[in-house]
Amino acid sequence: MLLRGLSWLVLCQLLGTVLNALLLPMLPGPIIGMLLLFVFLLVRGEVGEPLSVASSSLLKYLPLILVPPAVGVMAYASDIAEDFWAVVGALVLSLLISLAFAGWLMQRLIDRQQRREEV
Amino acid sequence: MSLEWHNAWQALTHHPLFGIGITLGAYQLAMAAYERTRWVFLQPVLVSMLTVIGILLICGLGFTEYKRSVEALTLLLGPATVALAVPLFLNLRRIRQLFWPILITLIVAGTLATALGAGLAWLFGAEQLMLKSMAPKSVTSPIAMLVADQIGGIAALAAVFVMITGVIGAIVGPSVLRLCRVHHPAAVGLALGISAHAVGTARALQESDECGAFAALAMSLMGVITAVLLPLVFVLLL
Repeated sequence: MLLRGLSWLVLCQLLGTVLNALLLPMLPGPIIGMLLLFVFLLVRGEVGEPLSVASSSLLKYLPLILVPPAVGVMAYASDIAEDFWAVVGALVLSLLISLAFAGWLMQRLIDRQQRREEV
Repeated sequence: MSLEWHNAWQALTHHPLFGIGITLGAYQLAMAAYERTRWVFLQPVLVSMLTVIGILLICGLGFTEYKRSVEALTLLLGPATVALAVPLFLNLRRIRQLFWPILITLIVAGTLATALGAGLAWLFGAEQLMLKSMAPKSVTSPIAMLVADQIGGIAALAAVFVMITGVIGAIVGPSVLRLCRVHHPAAVGLALGISAHAVGTARALQESDECGAFAALAMSLMGVITAVLLPLVFVLLL
């Protein structure tokens, strides 16, 4: 089950890599693979057992898979230290503003849709 | 006698499995600590990263050697990204009910989050390399790292910015939203998912199931849109 689902995921990524090399150099192969799988699921209308097992087990360990790339920051410690305040300031400010704005906008749009449905 | 100890130490730290060993160990410790305390600061990726860096520094190993040793693990990042299509598909029904509000919020607020991050960093005088690594900070790390790599930034830096953004968003997010009188679970979830990705989604799940589902939805859509559009925008602008 797990192996068959994994094969599907790998197949999608390999197809994505081929498409990336042939037609879409600006999109990463795995992202094209994800779009391919999404379209496939849309056409099929359901998630098969093998795919469901494979994707949930892989996504469960996503944080673990992300540890090695995150460790890569040790190679850039001095770059970050140089721009420390610019980086942290930009991150915090943009987060606060966009978070508040997203919530406010969504709330307004939902209220409007509900009012329209009541009329 | 001391010579043999030294040799054994060298054999241990330079073994091809050493990197995987410390990564697995650090991750399990971090998960246990997080599950016991449920403290938002103890994000498993962050804690494991710090632990692994600490061990590498103590053993005097460089990132290049570590990277070579954990290649088997890193290789799984691609299939894991592909697997994100499954939760996205499973959430389709919820998207249909609130289709326009979701789409409009996602595009407007998602653009704002990305442009504001890079714009402010530019205003504060950060370097090009930093800007490119910071642009995808609002999406979940695998996508952010892929995108940063694609537009000429550094994947590892992107991962760190993503983590900082997520952790701060999860800590202050719900109170900020309450201050702005945002109370619909869909709105709270969407805001957390758009701006604080996976960490925000984990926080939204603590609020309610509905809130969590919308956060997961916002996170995956934001990831796909960023992955598709951001490299295009950079190609057109530069």
